[in-house]
Amino acid sequence: MKRIILTILLLSISLPLYAEELRVATTYPYIASIVQQVGGDRVNVHALADGDWDPHVIVPKPSYIAKLRAADLLIMGGAQLEIGWLPPLMNQANNPKINVGSRGLLDLSRSVQLIEVPVGVSRAQGDIHPDGNPHFHLDPYNIPVLSKAIAERLAELEPAGASEYQINNRNFTEKWNRKLAEWNEKLEKLKGITVIEYHKNYDYFLLRYNIKLLGTVETLPGIPPTSKHIESLEKMITPGSVRFILQDVYHAEDASKFLAKKHGINIVKIPHDVGAVAEAKDIFTLFDEITRRLTNE
Amino acid sequence: MKCYLRSLIMIVFCLFLISNPRSASAQAGDKNISNPFSQAKFVPDIALIVDFSAVGRDMKNKEYADLALPGLLRARSHGEHAGPNAKNGFNFNYAEMSLYSVVDPYFDLFAVFHLHQEGFEIEEAYINTRRLPLGFRAKAGKFLSSFGRINEQHAHYWDFADAPLVYRAFFGKENLNEIGARLTWLAPTSFYLMFGGEILAGENEASFGAEGFQDASGAHEIEDNEAPNLYVGYVKTSLEAKKFVALLGGSIAHGKTRVNDGVDQSFAENPQGFGEYGNTYLFGGDLTLKYLLGSYQYLSLQSEYVYRTMSGDRYDNSGGMTSLDKKQSGLYSQLVYRVSQRWRAGFRYDLLQKNMIKTGSATANLHENLPRYTAMLEYNPTEFSRIRLQYSHDRSGYLDEGASQKINNELILQFNITIGAHGAHSF
Repeated sequence: MKRIILTILLLSISLPLYAEELRVATTYPYIASIVQQVGGDRVNVHALADGDWDPHVIVPKPSYIAKLRAADLLIMGGAQLEIGWLPPLMNQANNPKINVGSRGLLDLSRSVQLIEVPVGVSRAQGDIHPDGNPHFHLDPYNIPVLSKAIAERLAELEPAGASEYQINNRNFTEKWNRKLAEWNEKLEKLKGITVIEYHKNYDYFLLRYNIKLLGTVETLPGIPPTSKHIESLEKMITPGSVRFILQDVYHAEDASKFLAKKHGINIVKIPHDVGAVAEAKDIFTLFDEITRRLTNE
Repeated sequence: MKCYLRSLIMIVFCLFLISNPRSASAQAGDKNISNPFSQAKFVPDIALIVDFSAVGRDMKNKEYADLALPGLLRARSHGEHAGPNAKNGFNFNYAEMSLYSVVDPYFDLFAVFHLHQEGFEIEEAYINTRRLPLGFRAKAGKFLSSFGRINEQHAHYWDFADAPLVYRAFFGKENLNEIGARLTWLAPTSFYLMFGGEILAGENEASFGAEGFQDASGAHEIEDNEAPNLYVGYVKTSLEAKKFVALLGGSIAHGKTRVNDGVDQSFAENPQGFGEYGNTYLFGGDLTLKYLLGSYQYLSLQSEYVYRTMSGDRYDNSGGMTSLDKKQSGLYSQLVYRVSQRWRAGFRYDLLQKNMIKTGSATANLHENLPRYTAMLEYNPTEFSRIRLQYSHDRSGYLDEGASQKINNELILQFNITIGAHGAHSF
């Protein structure tokens, strides 16, 4: 009798833990969107940050700790993009599953080739990322690489769903490649143009589509524009040479507007993440919207 | 002579070793020569924070150091050093060095060294567990207690150049910083709900104290405390919307108080000498409201209220003993507006509210309801450098045992600079 009660008691404690879907927390919404595609109904995914904040300086909220406590897997962008806000939250989450070094922590930057890796690092260069530019997800060719890494990790943590994750990822990648062909066709006409960007947010995208970068509106990474810097940027602008100023949704637009007005350049607000603008609802519509805004279609 | 010869041979030998061109070039070119025991990659995160200031106040340094509020604030001249910004003109306040690293799969270690021009202090040094299940985490060592909101934060993270008055009154110049252990539990709820308990040595002189005393006549003796003397419990939770965060906390601390303020000196030596022994409870409530206006702008209102009650006995040095009953409280409320990426402005209201001390059946007529008003403007070139201008008008200080009030108007220009690998801060 005692044994039966004990078994029931144990089951009642352990059942909800095992019956539930895999709980995944992601730092940014674009990662959550990919997880949703690959994980389907088997996962319960929550993004911590909102897509319209500056990804470098997400203001930590206590509820993020509750989400991290419940997570079986935490997926982050990595390359030190989260260094300014994530570590204290992880420390307070009291969840050994997502410790650095555990299989419950996936750093996506390890799966892609990072660009702009600095040779020497000094904070005199501003808010510099020693591992390279962390905004790699804005190259659409990197998305299937990320989804594959995610599918593999999900399968590792929940072997019962391995084949489903694999199939989901294959379907996602096929759909992605069809969309990619559409975007490539539309973006083809941007080849060779020159742009200015506020922050080095879009460098992977620019490199992919052969768009030249004249400079950034901000003085140095993380350091707001000064009049001296804007003057030196202006010296490089010749009439008609710069097509767009790529502005993110979270920085002040004053300096970009000044340049745009003075030199007759269009400012294009480019969403950097899912949720940055209303139209970017998931990973597909994020790139639909980037393409639409740049090609004006 | 022999000695000189030996030295000469040594020097020649050393010169030979350095100058031998063959061995040097062989070393430079040989890729097989390695340092198989290099541990460079295991160096912990090291950071150094330096804080210095220029201060102007309308009184002499000596007067400032002697300002006190009987029953609540001890003079800054009490203790080893007067604390930051104590002098008119230039102040080197501290250099704070922090070390952090994962120890092994089971522990993290964090240490902060507080360096003054005259000394070295271990401000914090503790381990945290990494692997406890079910939402538990344990901490042990020397650390800042989680009582209230501001106590656990390091000075460089505060929104103002100094601690709220109520903290200085109840915990002294260095806040509640104790040796002991803590266990926290994060509830498995969809919102943030955290419970914590601490068992501490309780050496804090402002409210507790572990050292016993004997009055000069020898009539009464209070023994040293040898067991943990202080127990702290707290709960923290939050309410949130997309742009709004409310963080609420409640704390309680209980411990034995032992105060020796000259009770061991003879009456002839110190006619004012007394000692106290009893039970102290502290109750704290805190509320922080933050409205996020964008990635770089917010409005934050942070308030705390702390109530202290103590009951026990008061001893004098001629063997007398009377019952002692204290009920004291204080609060602060601060509004900070982050205007842009680089600029912040803030206003703080401090109040030392209640100051009731009853000895036997007599209630001392002590000063109550004393405010301080502080305003600050900050320029942060980056997250690693901060320049702050702060003005305060402080009505809490008295000279001559509370006989004469001395209002302190002060202006502080503070520089706070960080280099190295310094961890991010929590909300």
